[in-house]
Amino acid sequence: MVENLQSGAVPVGDAILSCRNLTVRYGAVAAVQEVTLDIPEHQITAIIGPSGCGKSTLLRAFNRMNDFYLNVTTEGQALYRGEDLYAADVDPVEVRRRIGMVFQKPNPFPKSIFQNVAWAPAISGYRGDLKALVETSLRKAALWDEVKDKLGQSGLALSGGQQQRLCIARAIALEPEVILMDEPCSALDPASTARIEDLFLELKERYTIVIVTHNMQQAARVSDGTAFLSRGHLIEFGVTKTIFTRPARRETEDYVTGKFG
Amino acid sequence: MASSSEFGLRLAGLRQKRKGRWTERAIEVFLFLCALLSVVTTAEIIWVLARETWSFFRQVPVFSFLFGTRWTPLFQPPSFGVLPLVCGTALVVVGAALVAIPLGLGSGIFLSEYASDRLRGILKPVLEVLAGIPTVVYGYFALTFVTPLLVRLFPATQVFNAASGAVVVGVMILPMIASLCDDALRAVPQSLRHAGYALGATRFEVATHVVLPGALSGVLASFVLALSRAIGETMAVTLAAGATPKLTLNPLESIQTMTAYIVQVSLGDTPAGGIPYLTIYAVGMLLFVITMGLNLLANRILRRFHEVYE
Amino acid sequence: MTSPVGPSSGNLPARRRMGAVLHVIFLAATLAGVVLLAILLADVLEHGIPWLRWSFLTSFPSRFPQQAGIKAALWGTIWLIGLTALFSIPVGLGAAIYLEEYARRNWFNTLIEINIANLAGTPSIVYGMLGLSLFVRWMALGRSVLAGALTMSLLILPVTIIASRESLRAVPDSLRQAAFALGATRWQTIRAHVLPAALPGILTGLILALSRAIGETAPLIMIGALTYVAFTPSGPMDAFTALPIQIFNWASRPQREFYGLAAAGILVLLGVLLTMNAAAIWIRYRSQRNVRW
Repeated sequence: MVENLQSGAVPVGDAILSCRNLTVRYGAVAAVQEVTLDIPEHQITAIIGPSGCGKSTLLRAFNRMNDFYLNVTTEGQALYRGEDLYAADVDPVEVRRRIGMVFQKPNPFPKSIFQNVAWAPAISGYRGDLKALVETSLRKAALWDEVKDKLGQSGLALSGGQQQRLCIARAIALEPEVILMDEPCSALDPASTARIEDLFLELKERYTIVIVTHNMQQAARVSDGTAFLSRGHLIEFGVTKTIFTRPARRETEDYVTGKFG
Repeated sequence: MASSSEFGLRLAGLRQKRKGRWTERAIEVFLFLCALLSVVTTAEIIWVLARETWSFFRQVPVFSFLFGTRWTPLFQPPSFGVLPLVCGTALVVVGAALVAIPLGLGSGIFLSEYASDRLRGILKPVLEVLAGIPTVVYGYFALTFVTPLLVRLFPATQVFNAASGAVVVGVMILPMIASLCDDALRAVPQSLRHAGYALGATRFEVATHVVLPGALSGVLASFVLALSRAIGETMAVTLAAGATPKLTLNPLESIQTMTAYIVQVSLGDTPAGGIPYLTIYAVGMLLFVITMGLNLLANRILRRFHEVYE
Repeated sequence: MTSPVGPSSGNLPARRRMGAVLHVIFLAATLAGVVLLAILLADVLEHGIPWLRWSFLTSFPSRFPQQAGIKAALWGTIWLIGLTALFSIPVGLGAAIYLEEYARRNWFNTLIEINIANLAGTPSIVYGMLGLSLFVRWMALGRSVLAGALTMSLLILPVTIIASRESLRAVPDSLRQAAFALGATRWQTIRAHVLPAALPGILTGLILALSRAIGETAPLIMIGALTYVAFTPSGPMDAFTALPIQIFNWASRPQREFYGLAAAGILVLLGVLLTMNAAAIWIRYRSQRNVRW
């Protein structure tokens, strides 16, 4: 594992990411309210909930991407291996090199496939063999065989599913510890979705994955733990099987059985 | 997992100061200074104009400048009433508006509501070309085509006359109005038009009763901006409208605009520092204040009455 | 099925007629512009072509129309535009990048925006007065092509900024988000992704701004560009003349022959502008083929 802890920090449980009473507001409106959650390492954690419940906002809180929105205030704590991500002297750029993100709509750069994967490591000061890194990342993203002969082609020339795998490869190239995924399959067709879901199961051996999804079947198929959010509040968090078969809260049950949302 | 050493600096932790931190700040500061230059420019314009205008008003009372009706700064005794120049400018600008507003608005409506994409693809570039023609070319055109035409239509027309300048300035600002109106009209969402059609309105009715009111702020702002541009127009009126400041409502006569006066003095050998020299700054200040007022008005119209559709 | 209004609503034919009439009126309004452009071009071509010879391009101005040429003005313009580009491109682009990528929405930045909009609408002759006081006198640059270029740079700065901002704005935000999420700083993101994507639009805007500068006369008159120049500039501190000044000079002469010279000069000027605009269109066309979001 990468040694990156300063002395004195103690992980909470075996959680790699956690939040304590996290509240995120856009202006006066609280999108995330008093959420306390531990994300275990090397697992896939799904965050589900109806539209507008704050799941994307919660996700973005973990890699400081909320910083780019106007009028955002963050209260409470978001922790990475016990370190407060929002401490005054924390550099968000460093945060994002350790906690990567894949977006809902695939957004490869309008550059070659090689450039897409190689750029971020290059600007981060990677001193090793870029070509090898690109190949490794593309293999891990199950894309290498399809693109190995056309690394110079534009990333935009790929199909939707391939583009998303390219984005995953791009995120992996930085060797993050955590990959945050914001509805990564919602813009894809079922076949591509299935392929990427298989990919998640492979990836969790090396990375921790947090995936926001509105597709409950996907959460049930793929994740180890599931958190259910509604209107900014964390209603329930538990082992996926339990959440979907014997949830503790009524609201959770209503949601997973399709009564609302 | 790739060897952590290959990622170099990464390892030190979330708080480490990146080498690039200072470069980032320096770049941001440099870019900010570039943006600040625009503020500095305005401040400088105001300073330059105000300083000389102040000297001018120490020798000529403000009241007689702003409300005097004789502009003869080079005569003995000199007279510094600026109204003839303002009147000359106004005559040209009103004439230009009479030409440009109907034609410009009509073009804008046509381009936005009637023209097919292909037709639009041809007409818009043509209008852009019109807008790109240098003003001195329009001045030439006024002299060699418009004035002779006017003389044939109205024999009383003098060799230099306000109407010629007005027509040509009108043609100059026409593309601006057409383009801005076109943009404003196209910004009105299609759903509003559909609502109009669904209620049984014809295309013209939808255009004038639904779309135009929905784009009113943009259309009005375009008029104001075009007027501002017309007021500041220099070369066409210098060449064609004359160098005789006088208070008149007759467009067929020779007049002088504020801008033409400034050019006239610059081309001559007026010594720096003397009163006649200071007059160009006073007139320039007046010009700047008027156009700035109009620009701010246009801005206000756009911000204040900006239509919200959803 | 009968509708309460009847099989055809009563005044529809009249409304249709009105609509047709207005359609024609609007079309005529648009065509008026086209027609006027055609007349203008025809006029200039008719008067100017007889005077457009090779010797015209290579001679200096003269009291004798037959010997007069546009060489000094042409080279003056080239020098002027070259230096103007040198100053206005970095500053204009820098300001646009700051305003679009860095600035937060506070009162100061809004002030800057309003200020730029105002400057864009300020008469060019006022810029001439600014140039006269600031560059010619205070910086003691005299009536040099450098003073002219600095003045022109200030003149086209607002237009450059506005056009560059639009190009930057057109770059989808998802691109920036992707780069940020990969741990890039703002400048790294701009340099690697935003600028390259916005470049065609920025270039087009710059070329159009410069072509506006080429046609401007009043500021140059104010700073003292000479109207009778029999040499070409050999350095930035030299005196100079420019195409529009020469045209203005010839058009103000009472003798008829000079009108023909003015027309020929206009043709040269329009030729230069046409080339620049064609370059801008070519860039826009090339870029639209390559980049698809």
